[in-house]
Amino acid sequence: MGRARASRALAAFRPLYATRLATFGSTVVLLFALMAVFGPALAPYGANQQVYTDARQPPSLERPFGTDHLGRDVFSRVLLGTRDIFVLAGLGTLVAVLVGTAVGLLTTYLGGATEEITFRVFDSVLAMPALLFALLLLGTFGPSRNNVLAVIAVAYVPIVARVVRSVVLNVKTKDYVAAARMQGESLSRILLREILPSVLPALAVEGALRFSYAIFLVASLGFLGAGVQPPNPDWGLMISEARNFVSITPWALYFPAAAISLLVIGVNLMAEGLATALGRTP
Amino acid sequence: MPTPYARASQAAPPSDCSRVPRTLGSALAVTVLVAVTTFLAFAGIAVGQGSTFRVALEPPAQLDPAFASSDAEIAVLNAVYDYLVDVDGDNEIVPRLARSWNVSDDGLTYTFELAEGVSFHDGTPLRAEDVVWTFDRLRDPELELPTSDLYAIIESIEATDDLEVRFTLREVNPFFLYDLSDNHAVVLREGTSDAATAFNGTGPFRVEEYRTGTRMSLSANPEYFMPGKPGVDELELIFFRDQVAAIDALRGRQVDLVLRMPTPLFQSLQGTPGLEAVSVATNAFDLVRLRADRGPGADVRVQQALKLATDRDAIVQVVTFGLAAPGKDSPIGPLYGEYFADDLELPPHDPERARELLTEAGYADGLTLELHTPDTGDRPTLAVVLADQWAQAGITVDVIVHPESVYYGDNLWLEVDLGITGWGSRPVPQFYLDVMLACDAVWNEAHWCDPEFDELVRFTRTTLDEAARVEAYHEMQRILVERGPIIIPYFFPQYGVIADTFDGFELKAFPGRSDLAAIHPR
Repeated sequence: MGRARASRALAAFRPLYATRLATFGSTVVLLFALMAVFGPALAPYGANQQVYTDARQPPSLERPFGTDHLGRDVFSRVLLGTRDIFVLAGLGTLVAVLVGTAVGLLTTYLGGATEEITFRVFDSVLAMPALLFALLLLGTFGPSRNNVLAVIAVAYVPIVARVVRSVVLNVKTKDYVAAARMQGESLSRILLREILPSVLPALAVEGALRFSYAIFLVASLGFLGAGVQPPNPDWGLMISEARNFVSITPWALYFPAAAISLLVIGVNLMAEGLATALGRTP
Repeated sequence: MPTPYARASQAAPPSDCSRVPRTLGSALAVTVLVAVTTFLAFAGIAVGQGSTFRVALEPPAQLDPAFASSDAEIAVLNAVYDYLVDVDGDNEIVPRLARSWNVSDDGLTYTFELAEGVSFHDGTPLRAEDVVWTFDRLRDPELELPTSDLYAIIESIEATDDLEVRFTLREVNPFFLYDLSDNHAVVLREGTSDAATAFNGTGPFRVEEYRTGTRMSLSANPEYFMPGKPGVDELELIFFRDQVAAIDALRGRQVDLVLRMPTPLFQSLQGTPGLEAVSVATNAFDLVRLRADRGPGADVRVQQALKLATDRDAIVQVVTFGLAAPGKDSPIGPLYGEYFADDLELPPHDPERARELLTEAGYADGLTLELHTPDTGDRPTLAVVLADQWAQAGITVDVIVHPESVYYGDNLWLEVDLGITGWGSRPVPQFYLDVMLACDAVWNEAHWCDPEFDELVRFTRTTLDEAARVEAYHEMQRILVERGPIIIPYFFPQYGVIADTFDGFELKAFPGRSDLAAIHPR
């Protein structure tokens, strides 16, 4: 029995490796995830450790990514920044998916005025680009790690809820749902046992896509100075700090930029593979 | 440019003959123009003729002289209007609209003779009444202009002749001429009601066209009263929101001058062929201060610990690339000559001693502080460097970077416990003491009040005894090192980069006050 369960659990990951591109994407994401977990143990220097005598060193064996204008090790900073981006973008996405799913399921299934009002409010939030919306909130509540997390969740709840709604609208008129209702099953049972399984494939794809957008959002906020504050090794912030020094220490800009690109591409390929395997277009 | 012409003629259908005469005509016109220009140039008539000088500036927000403050705004004022007196590169007062002046023996009456033959751009001649009106407006308490405090010392201003003005003061002010040359104090025509948009000055350039946020086109004022100025026929002020874009425009020769830039950008432009990178030492500084009226800063041992934990040499090297002059925790910098206490020694960098002091002050388990900074200049970098240095003394620093407009606009800089402030360069040091370090100073950001220091500030403000003032300034610097609430790690230079096809540029400590009228083609 234990074995059966294990193989079923493994089977759940099969879509991640369904196509060659998806395999590449998932592997990239996995590598970054490992960096996020083990980064602090592996980083040769502290995130804000400044060795003045080593300032502005180009990449070398001892300093694989070189050092920035303050003598900080760029490799260590990129490595240490991974956890930040996973925690902020990942947790923010997770909260958005959970809340968005709950709201989407409940309001759409119940319908009526609640649904109408909820989704008109969501529409108005969606009318604003996520980055502007995030800047507005952070400008009001001040920049901090928790606020960045909250902002990602708030910005993405409406999007997730809308995706959920599109599936629920379709499913809720199906006979098996009507049957369950007539059997007198409870509301929570109908939502979780009858409807949620149909939503899950769409949700998996949407969640992965949201994650890639969230990475971008965190990096953009860092770059604009509204997100994570210095001297934290946030990738976007690192690019912003290195921008003025581009002719002196270009490597301090290239490596965090490459890290963002690689991770975002990885997550996107993974999402695409998921979509193909689950028969959905992202 | 042969390529576009060739392409145009190929694209045109063969039957379309209308292009031929037009092309011929313009070719003819160009030939004539070239011939005429060449002739004039050889004849020596066209020196400076047809020359345009283009300056990259930040977009001005406010061009009413009473409110203008940024370098870009002051650069516009300095081109369109004239000051009564000016300050030269050596910090000396020099004539501008006022040709000469004399001060009464009691130091209370200043009489100025205005230059002759000066007229406003609309043609009206300059009269003493214009000067009276200008300064009456700036000092009018009812108008509540930013200058009303500065000029509160003026008892009366009167036109004693067509071109003679007399200022009478309530008390002695040895720096009054510098106050008269304040950035806001350009002379307007009497009764100007739309000071922000009229641009009716006496200055070297006339505004031809102003497109808000984009550019301002100016032409030389042919009747300008200062001989040899302006040195170019046209002045284009082109506004850039992004400093990097301005530098790129300079590299591509779309502008001829960029004023002010972050140190690394300046560093990267040095040695570029065709460009001349100019820097000037100033008394501008970044100041780190800990509020002395509450929290940890109320204990002088904490103040001393922060100073001991700061490695100034390293800061000058990594934050300013070694281009700044080291500071001694006082706003009276080396540029002020004998006012600066050259022989004063700071306690050496000693994080261990800092840790001991913190333990004595009751922070044996370490101290956590929020360090607030505006997002401009080298300040965020300074914050990050301090965070690492102070960590070695057991002080944990959370850096919070604010947009500059918010940090100053919302008065956060006067509120927060620990903050970094950028202070501009002033021709005399008394300004900083009056507005920042006296007990009742309007911008007493450290909320510090030291009776002995306060007494000295009062003394130097009014004494006419120069030797005594030097003495008092030295004593103040000693007090600040011993128990002051501020760290001034460096005095930063200002930078400008100009195309080497132009000459005559002298960068001022306040870059917006650089004289654009003195620039001429090489």
